[in-house]
Amino acid sequence: MNKPLSKEQGDRWYAFLLTVPAIVMATIFILIPIVDSIWKSFLQYGVKNIISGKPGIWNNFGNYLRLFASGALPNAIKNTFVFVFFVIVCQFVLGMALALVLNSNIKGARFFRSIMMVPWVVPTVISALIWMWLFQPQYGLMKYLANIFTGGRVTDFAMLNNPSTALIGVSIAALWKQIPLMTLLLLAGLQNVPDDIIEAATIDGAGKVHRFFSIVMPYMSSVIKVAVSMSIIENFKQFPLFWTMTSGGPNGSTTNLAILSYREAFVSMNLGSGASVTTIWMILMIITISLYNHFFKTPDLT
Amino acid sequence: MKKNPVSTICKYLVLAVIMIFLLFPIYWMVVTALKSNMEAYLYPPTFAPKHVVTDSFHSLFTKNNQFFVYYWNNFIVSAWSAFICCLVAIFTGYALARFHSKWTMIVSSLLLATQMFPIISRMISLYSMMRKMGIINTRFGLILAICAAQIPFCSILMSSFFANIPKEIEEAATIDGAGRSKILFQIVTPLVKPGMVAVAIYAFLMTWDDYLHAATLIQSDNLRTLSIGIALRYLGELSYDWSLINAISVIGTVPMVLLFFFFQKYMVKGLVAGAVKG
Repeated sequence: MNKPLSKEQGDRWYAFLLTVPAIVMATIFILIPIVDSIWKSFLQYGVKNIISGKPGIWNNFGNYLRLFASGALPNAIKNTFVFVFFVIVCQFVLGMALALVLNSNIKGARFFRSIMMVPWVVPTVISALIWMWLFQPQYGLMKYLANIFTGGRVTDFAMLNNPSTALIGVSIAALWKQIPLMTLLLLAGLQNVPDDIIEAATIDGAGKVHRFFSIVMPYMSSVIKVAVSMSIIENFKQFPLFWTMTSGGPNGSTTNLAILSYREAFVSMNLGSGASVTTIWMILMIITISLYNHFFKTPDLT
Repeated sequence: MKKNPVSTICKYLVLAVIMIFLLFPIYWMVVTALKSNMEAYLYPPTFAPKHVVTDSFHSLFTKNNQFFVYYWNNFIVSAWSAFICCLVAIFTGYALARFHSKWTMIVSSLLLATQMFPIISRMISLYSMMRKMGIINTRFGLILAICAAQIPFCSILMSSFFANIPKEIEEAATIDGAGRSKILFQIVTPLVKPGMVAVAIYAFLMTWDDYLHAATLIQSDNLRTLSIGIALRYLGELSYDWSLINAISVIGTVPMVLLFFFFQKYMVKGLVAGAVKG
């Protein structure tokens, strides 16, 4: 590659110029606000400061200490992780099952593959409404079905109003919306698995289960890795579903980090305190993703 | 290979169960919207409406038509954001796909990193920042804030489309004496039309779904977008009008479903390419 230097330098300048709009947008509307909100998390900074324009006052980690002492933050952290873990595991298992079925030359696979995407395009707030109606405590369909399938023993089925089941209720709505994309990505991964290797393994007498875990899964690992990490990030950040369906209740049982920070910052209008929640939240998210990348190294097959 | 009837039955069972889980709620939404409110509140529920009535749609169009203000706002904001994101993504995506230098490496890792920051964290600061700049509670401010959030993923998506264009085309054009900008805008960009469609639709869908940006940046009712408008106006009271809410859901969903099915080919290709490469 013996290109003249001037061409190379020109290319470098051109590449720099092309990235300027994205970098400017990201700096003004993402990076500066993030740094600023981390800084605010150490301040006493409320709605009064915004109106009067006065800077916040350093309060010696007061925001953090208060949130830990009241138990609100540990509770939100627990709910976030339970939700992320439960949704990812179910989503992966169900998505993989559906992808395998759709990949196996069944009749109408193309039709099912496109019709299954509908929940993915339903706006999040509307999917929350759909499931709230299904779970509705007096007239909801789920109450009726629960009644029928238990032979009339369950007469009171209010999933979202019961602190021990509310999180499951929200998770079901999240699964409903997210399984399609997971399936679509896994399906694309399945199509990358070379047929000849599968055939060779079949001739060698490898069983279905064995073939799946020792050939199919390794070949799909890069797709799986990306699909799962996208889903971790999305569920870690989940807000509208919780806010619409339960507003974090009953009794804080569905208050995740998103709900807690929103409540602190924009309902109580204590922006410093909200910022301390989002700071902890970002740190946890970065740790989780790094650990995930560390333990899930993709073997290179290509 | 021999066919095992048990495994075939299992396959169809899995398909049926998951498909019912995914599609029944959609059916239920449509059916409830077509019931009268009396029938919607019937227990045990009726699986198909006894009398198909369009009362709820009628009341949505006549009495409760503030909904369409939100709808229109949502459309404007989404369309602008699709346009801006697509434009910026062409520049950035091309730079990331073609020029490999330290700078583009930094840019691409920076763009990936922005995906990890929660929206609320940004909004806490943007709320006071945009107030000072005087663009809070304006469509312009809302569009800018949303675009900033979408551009990183859109750029990465777009770069995977540029990467598939053979480099030889550009090299030939260089020999013919075409400048860099001519190559990008007149030769390469027309070849990534599918990518532009995929990015624009993606940005449109994501903006249509936005809740948090509008919830924090918009205060006047006439500028509210769909999600926040529905949540604040129609879910306020203790007893919901469920057939009206389901009618709203149907109307809020239909354009997205049409858009997706119409451009499905590009969308699926784009999402898969973005995920596999990025």
